[in-house]
Amino acid sequence: MSIWREEIGNETWLVGVSGRLDHLQTPELESELLEIAGSGDQRMIIDMTEVTYVNSGGLRCLVTIWRKAQQGNGIVVLSGINPSLMDLFTTVGFHKVFDIYATTGEAKQALEAS
Amino acid sequence: MAQSSEFTIPGRLERIGDACAFVVSGAEIAGFTIDELFRIELACDEACTNIIEHAYDGDNVGDIRISWRIDDRSFTITMSDDGRPFDPDEVPPPEVPEDPGDLNGLKIGGLGIYFMRNLMDEVQFSRDDHRGNTLIMVKYRSSNERK
Repeated sequence: MSIWREEIGNETWLVGVSGRLDHLQTPELESELLEIAGSGDQRMIIDMTEVTYVNSGGLRCLVTIWRKAQQGNGIVVLSGINPSLMDLFTTVGFHKVFDIYATTGEAKQALEAS
Repeated sequence: MAQSSEFTIPGRLERIGDACAFVVSGAEIAGFTIDELFRIELACDEACTNIIEHAYDGDNVGDIRISWRIDDRSFTITMSDDGRPFDPDEVPPPEVPEDPGDLNGLKIGGLGIYFMRNLMDEVQFSRDDHRGNTLIMVKYRSSNERK
């Protein structure tokens, strides 16, 4: 798994993740993103275009980040989730909770408009 | 004709990938689609994680014995361990949120077992004092029987 992040606007972050979000890899992602979310009022797009696999550890990690962002009046949205993973997200109801965009471009537009 | 294989890993999180690769290699022989292979891999991952975290209560405490079997009708994965008795029926299911924006209501414990039950066609747990915990997960090969 690799992670990169870029500040694309005022308190707005684009975070790219690639590879597998499993029990081994997610602690690194969680600590990196909690650092951003913990600053308060941060808006974050997690670009999952290059994520090939997510297990329950990866989903827990996303929930933890979402909760942290909410506590600080921040926003977390997801983009680029492949169909197999989307099926999984739907199974656990994440599609009702996270704002999920087909592409990172659409996620950026939505955040700019909000 | 039935085909089968066996494999044992130390119960370590870093070896779960090897267990999944072993199971997926059998599932490929059984002819599952890419989406089904993903589901089988995830079920295997969650099963191993549960054994390490709940039956063994930690990393590298004991082994996980894994086998797969292909017959005309189904692909069957069997996993056993020597950990403490673990009854997944006692784990409450996660609460999937009903309302948009209500992730605070999501109780995410038990997600692994919830996945296993959703991803596979049959999931059975049993306990034997000599053989430890045994988990059997089945995926049907016939497309009209599949989930």
